[in-house]
Amino acid sequence: MAAVIECRGLTKRYRGTTALAGLDLTVEAGQVFGFLGANGAGKTTTMRILLGLVVPSSGRAWLNGKQVPDPAALARAGAMIEEPAFYPWLTGRRNLDLLALSGARRPARDREISAALDRAGLTGVAGRRVKGYSQGMRQRLGLAAALMRRPAVLLLDEPANGMDPAGIREFRTLLRSLAGDGTTVFLSSHLLAEVGQVCDQVAVIHAGRLVEQGPVSQLATARPRLRLVIDPADQPSALALLHRWRARADGPDAVLVEAAAGREVNEVLGRGGVWASQILPERAGLEEAFLQLTGTREASDATAQR
Amino acid sequence: MRLLSAELIKLGHPLTWGVAAAAAVFCVLLAVGGAHNAALAGGTPAGHLPSCAELAIPAGPRCTRAQARERARVAQASAQPAQVAAQLNPLAAGAEAAGLMASLPGALALALLAGAHVGGEWSGRTMKNLLTQQGHRWRVLAAKLVSLWLAGVGLIAACWLALAAAGPVLVHIDHLPAAHESAARALGLAGSQAARALLVLAVFAAIGLLAAVATRGTIGATAATAVAIVAMLIAASLPGTGRWAPATWVQEWMGFPAGQASITSLPNNFWSRFISAGAAPGQLAGLLGLAGLLAACWAAAVVLFRRQDISG
Repeated sequence: MAAVIECRGLTKRYRGTTALAGLDLTVEAGQVFGFLGANGAGKTTTMRILLGLVVPSSGRAWLNGKQVPDPAALARAGAMIEEPAFYPWLTGRRNLDLLALSGARRPARDREISAALDRAGLTGVAGRRVKGYSQGMRQRLGLAAALMRRPAVLLLDEPANGMDPAGIREFRTLLRSLAGDGTTVFLSSHLLAEVGQVCDQVAVIHAGRLVEQGPVSQLATARPRLRLVIDPADQPSALALLHRWRARADGPDAVLVEAAAGREVNEVLGRGGVWASQILPERAGLEEAFLQLTGTREASDATAQR
Repeated sequence: MRLLSAELIKLGHPLTWGVAAAAAVFCVLLAVGGAHNAALAGGTPAGHLPSCAELAIPAGPRCTRAQARERARVAQASAQPAQVAAQLNPLAAGAEAAGLMASLPGALALALLAGAHVGGEWSGRTMKNLLTQQGHRWRVLAAKLVSLWLAGVGLIAACWLALAAAGPVLVHIDHLPAAHESAARALGLAGSQAARALLVLAVFAAIGLLAAVATRGTIGATAATAVAIVAMLIAASLPGTGRWAPATWVQEWMGFPAGQASITSLPNNFWSRFISAGAAPGQLAGLLGLAGLLAACWAAAVVLFRRQDISG
């Protein structure tokens, strides 16, 4: 399969801050591809470089087979980067019309705009001024703008922000149907459950580098873990004994350990005088895999709170 | 052309209409004051020439010169009503409108529009949408420049229309004499000044464009354009800079009277009064200087924009 997106040694530095540190990435055609990373990992910067909005400090990137920045690469690309912005004094339809006028000539402009509005579920409010739109409606309008040119590749950065549950569900169906039509979707999202449901492949980046790339199922199941049920009074001792397996508390009477063998864990606990009432093997979800790969304390805390 | 038409649609911003209305109101208020001043000046008694004793100057060449000056002042004052009536002729009012918009009022109006129309793309975070549709950044800038310039042309039209409507009424109210200029001559004067103003407006628009690209925001673009215009005027009044100051090129190209001579009952510009009369270049030097300034601002904006990261 041909690569629709390719990055080689992509680096971007902003006045002493390194946003990307030699990113290598390949996205093949026809996939829904999840692009994951903690805040500041370099996801948005990568998308901006691919769209010609940001100039890389070094390295090269290709979009639709053309090395960016190349205006020809954009002709078959749709994008929604962070929170979409529009001219608030104009209607939704007028905003799309302006964007269509700003790009390459399209023979059926009005029909494409109507189709994009319909797909984004905005036909009923397309005649209203954007200043009266809710955040979810703006997000949908951003999606309509990205879909308007029937792109071969769609770059979406946090597209479900502000959408209600029904909207997120519709959005998930839309992405799958686009992939079914042959559109490559390059999706960055913090909603890992959504990514897990909709993506074929994911890449995880951390501190501007690719940490792992592969099918969602492989990424999640590659990291088995054990859940130990123990007396709450023994939990601190168990955590200390098992620290080499990155043990962490999971409620008052359980400890999770990563990628460890049950027998070995049991032996270590026994030598320390702690006895587990149950040792259960578990498969980590995408969220767990993501947290392990990125190892961010903030993300881990946020997960514990949830 | 499609990109330009998109930019013109965006100019339907409420601020644009506000600026156009403000320009029209400003022109009319200036005409109201000008017509009133002319009516008062026309009432100055012209029959009596003051004696040397009344002027408190001993008889002799000095007194003769003072009397000549006084005679000229009175003659000029008595000519004011007819002159202002001619300026307020609906056709000739185009020259007045062009002069006002090719000077400080027009420059400040374009500074506001540059802020909203160009800088606003960064402040409103819409630049990323625009550049993901149109990857040729210079085309985006060209469309912005031309649309901003057309907005300036629209300001001249708004001022001209307002003066054409208000002029005859003011002439009637202030009992100014009817203008005797032919329609062809009035239209020729207006056309010539309006045509010259096109270049000056293009320079103001290019300064606004460069300021917007450099500051990447509405307020920054407006402020930087206004500061650049004021700096041009200050530079022109510095000793020894006359020939090389862009403000002097504007003055000469538009044919504005030098220095205090530009302050009349109904001034045709708000520019040359800030420039002390001195060694001034000719009209050709003004044309070349303005064209060079326009090209320099455009080139600087393109170079800056081409390498700029769009992060908002």
